[in-house]
Amino acid sequence: MADISRSERAAEELAAGHGIGDPFAAAIRATRMAMIVTDASQADNPIIFANNAFLALTGYQRDEVIGRNCRFLQGPDTDPAAVEVLRQAIANGQDVAVDILNYRKDGTTFWNALYLSPVRGESGEIVYFFGSQLNVSDKKRVEFELGDTRDRLEAAVAARTADLTHALQQKTALLHEVDHRVKNNLQLISSLLLLQNRRVTDPGVKNSLRGMLERVSAIATVHRRLFQSDDVERFDVSAFVRDLVSDMMGAARRDDIKVNLDLERIDIAASKAAPLALVISELFSNALRHAFPPEGMQGRPGEILVRITRQDADFRIEIADNGVGVENSASSGGFGLTIVQLLCQQLKARSETTPADPGTRVVVHLPVNGVHH
Amino acid sequence: MNERPLDVLIVEDEVLLATELEYLVEEVGCHPVGLAMSSDEAVALACELRPDLALVDVHLRDGPTGVEVVRKIHDDCGGVALFMTANVKRLPEDFAGACGVIGKPYSEHGVRTALEYLTICLNEDRAPGPPPIGLELSPAYAARWGLNDLPQALEA
Repeated sequence: MADISRSERAAEELAAGHGIGDPFAAAIRATRMAMIVTDASQADNPIIFANNAFLALTGYQRDEVIGRNCRFLQGPDTDPAAVEVLRQAIANGQDVAVDILNYRKDGTTFWNALYLSPVRGESGEIVYFFGSQLNVSDKKRVEFELGDTRDRLEAAVAARTADLTHALQQKTALLHEVDHRVKNNLQLISSLLLLQNRRVTDPGVKNSLRGMLERVSAIATVHRRLFQSDDVERFDVSAFVRDLVSDMMGAARRDDIKVNLDLERIDIAASKAAPLALVISELFSNALRHAFPPEGMQGRPGEILVRITRQDADFRIEIADNGVGVENSASSGGFGLTIVQLLCQQLKARSETTPADPGTRVVVHLPVNGVHH
Repeated sequence: MNERPLDVLIVEDEVLLATELEYLVEEVGCHPVGLAMSSDEAVALACELRPDLALVDVHLRDGPTGVEVVRKIHDDCGGVALFMTANVKRLPEDFAGACGVIGKPYSEHGVRTALEYLTICLNEDRAPGPPPIGLELSPAYAARWGLNDLPQALEA
């Protein structure tokens, strides 16, 4: 082939300028970095020089590479995009660094960190291209392995996330279902009590039924409130008291009694919500039903105060009335007061009843952290 | 009440709840005109009886069909519905055309005040003030009945 003899001549010309004594030429011949020079003035840019390191890296003999374009190093798995990057750089006369998969003579592959730069003559025209090749297969393998590991991890995380999301959805659905049933059953119990209350005529029985209805309503209000908030673990006592008082005052139809609310926001554990709600409901109901017998008030307006504050390590819940006082009231509240005592025991709370002159004051101290110090 | 009493249709599959609700509706001065326990019954009765207000539970005998019932009462019968459900959070954002919701478990007093309030709203097409505790109005009806014009202080 004519090209090869021309390349040989070009190689001789190149070598003629860089004889035995040229330290730069000697360095390039001896370096462990694979290097080649191509002749830009010939068609298809053939190799006119290759050092021993290049031959060792690629497995070819010198006469097998001189006169050929470097593309014989490419193979089926070489990335066409990387080849295109090279082609563009050569066409534009720019230097370029690219990692490209190359093939040895025996067909095995290696990752080549190729650096290619044009060498210009005195008038600025491109005379040669200088190429250096570095085998970076080890680095590439680690990169690929890392990539694989990352992909596997990401897939595992995605699968786990999907599992957890599904589990959470199921749990949420179940919670809604249970919440729904609890509320409906409380509604059913209320309806039963109301229906029976419509049937009976005996005032004592009616009274008992009304008391039970109030207790069920207090628990129902707790459940309505519990799942309204974003935090199903905590229960806002003051919001509950507002609902409860509105309900009980509305049902009592006692326009002669005024209620004052002084409520600091306090949150308690949801597990304590129902017992505390029952305590407050009993005490408020007691005041409403027994402190103000119309004949005892002699035209004096009735007033009930509900005050909730935090005092050191206690929540303080005060229910005070200006009525006729415990000793004068016809309180039949034996059962109601028993409930209060028992539930205070359960809540580890303390309740004190004192005369308010006029009226009665009950204060419940509920330890913030569950125990008294 | 001085207002014209409402004709009320009850859509509820728990017969004890429905019975008690019927008493309550009557005590407030409204007229209970019918009781439906399934979605088909509910839509048929609503279109036939043309009640002023339908009280609709979400879970009926044929499943969670209350939302569709409300939409049909609104779209096909031109009626006004009110949800009564334990699952307030699961209602569609537009309330399917309902005027509002009473959350279960409701209290006797809560239903009473809600019905008295809605009687005025429906007769005058305007709210006398903010809704009572226990009743939540849909955004569309709150706007229609002039609640968005109320000063914020009133709602606090």
